[in-house]
Amino acid sequence: MLEINNQYTLMKRRIDAEVLKAYFADTLEAIVDTLPIHIIPRERDPNRCCVYKERAMVRYRIMALLGVDIDRDDDEYKPLARYVGEALAAEAQPLPTLTTITPGCSGCPDEQYRITDSCRGCFARPCLANCPKDAIVFTNGRARIVEERCIKCGKCLDVCPFHAVIHVPVPCEASCPVGAVHKNDEGFVEIDHDACIDCGHCAQSCPFGAIAERSSLIHVARMLKEKVPVVAMVAPAIEGQFPGSLAQIKAGLVALGFTKVVEVAEGAHITALHEAQEVSERMEAHAGFMTTSCCPAYMELVDRHIPSLSARRSTALSPMAYTARQCHEQMPDAKLVFVGPCIAKKVEARAIPSISMVITFAELAALFVARDIDIKEIAAQEAPDSSLYADCRGFACPQGVSQSVLRRSAKPVQTMNINGVDKKTVRLMRSWEKRPPEVDLVEVMCCEGGCMAGPGVVVNPKIAMRLRQGADVARVGTIPLGGKKHV
Amino acid sequence: MEQKRISVKICVGTACFVQGGADLLLYEDFLDPELLGLCDIEGTSCLGGCKTDDPKWKAPLVEIAGVLYPNVTKQRLAELLREAVDA
Repeated sequence: MLEINNQYTLMKRRIDAEVLKAYFADTLEAIVDTLPIHIIPRERDPNRCCVYKERAMVRYRIMALLGVDIDRDDDEYKPLARYVGEALAAEAQPLPTLTTITPGCSGCPDEQYRITDSCRGCFARPCLANCPKDAIVFTNGRARIVEERCIKCGKCLDVCPFHAVIHVPVPCEASCPVGAVHKNDEGFVEIDHDACIDCGHCAQSCPFGAIAERSSLIHVARMLKEKVPVVAMVAPAIEGQFPGSLAQIKAGLVALGFTKVVEVAEGAHITALHEAQEVSERMEAHAGFMTTSCCPAYMELVDRHIPSLSARRSTALSPMAYTARQCHEQMPDAKLVFVGPCIAKKVEARAIPSISMVITFAELAALFVARDIDIKEIAAQEAPDSSLYADCRGFACPQGVSQSVLRRSAKPVQTMNINGVDKKTVRLMRSWEKRPPEVDLVEVMCCEGGCMAGPGVVVNPKIAMRLRQGADVARVGTIPLGGKKHV
Repeated sequence: MEQKRISVKICVGTACFVQGGADLLLYEDFLDPELLGLCDIEGTSCLGGCKTDDPKWKAPLVEIAGVLYPNVTKQRLAELLREAVDA
């Protein structure tokens, strides 16, 4: 997985901000077709083959921002201004969420292990000795891999004393926990939407930015511009994503034009209560382990790939669902927007009619930049009494959900955590049908590092964590976090 | 002779923070300890440079010994500090 902030994600954020600035200035349709030229000037030292390719990719990024399904609706003859008009007329969260940008895809060669010039043709030959498929042969005193026999187990790479074996992965395929991303007959990336669980790992992994999430940002911007009553439901991971306290972030959202800001940690409290009750009932009935149900990518994973876990999941609704229910009861006329770190939440939200749209923290960041709102300087919003649910802000971090459940449980509960789902974890979870884990509660988070490391975050979790613990943003760099500090 | 300490201010205004500035705050992780020993690094309120229309002035901004630099990456910060220390 790539770092959260790299050349591509920063470019994405800049494009989002430029589009929003123009939208709020009522000039978007007039300038959108020349925006790629403005963002990629001719003098730029390009990261792709040339500035023209970069401009083409900016165009696709803008289309993804407008929610266009690039796989199906890419029309090169159509000006972006027309896409803008169509996007503004749409009402619902666009699905499927992920779309591919074929012209951006590098068509990476198939995954392979290769032996490089560094091979010394040594006497011990550990590669040969450890290969389970006899795929290593020696020609001219050097090792070579016979591709037809290689099963890509990586044993030769592990044992070579000269590091002469390299592994060349296909990043998108490697990151997909369920094998939904593959290359089509032309060698370009394709997503099997029936298998996809919307975790977003492929989009986070592709160094070419060839997988994009279709955004609803422009719709949210429209709600704000037209001043309709709209509630921001902010995920627990939001704390630490911007340079200020949670109360300042809330004030920033109000400054953007949201009528009200509600913490989804409130709904998480209800989820945790429900799960505590349910796990205790299961323990009394000796019904075996139960898993959490708040991670939407995990819910899709079970629905599509691991039916044996269907009945193991808690029946609790997600924190977002409970929060939406509360907000809808209190303000039935307001539109609800979920702001979170997650792409799969966009799919979950489509099944909840009261939620209009879902945007990510990265998209919220673009809104702040476009509207020139500085969280560091803004006066904090008066904080409501949060003692009931304050600990549920931990839902964003590994073990945070299970700890919240434990605190609400009358008796001791044995827990275990799945921190990040990859191919291997999926195999493990499949095996639970035969060999169930001997615990009462399994907390599952599809992203390694929890929601704080989700595909829609802005800030490196190391920094975000320190800010969540109350560090001053000006001094945050000097505070070590449990690890080593250089002296 | 004692070397003069270099004052380094990393902008943590929202625009800089969300466009790569937050990563610069991990300087303990990526800067040479020798440089860290010679610099006083802290986060600072918006330095204002991002407000111009000049395309060169892109976030994130860093002020080193009173001079403002735009578009600073981790690698660039390390280079700039090395230059400042050697000067």
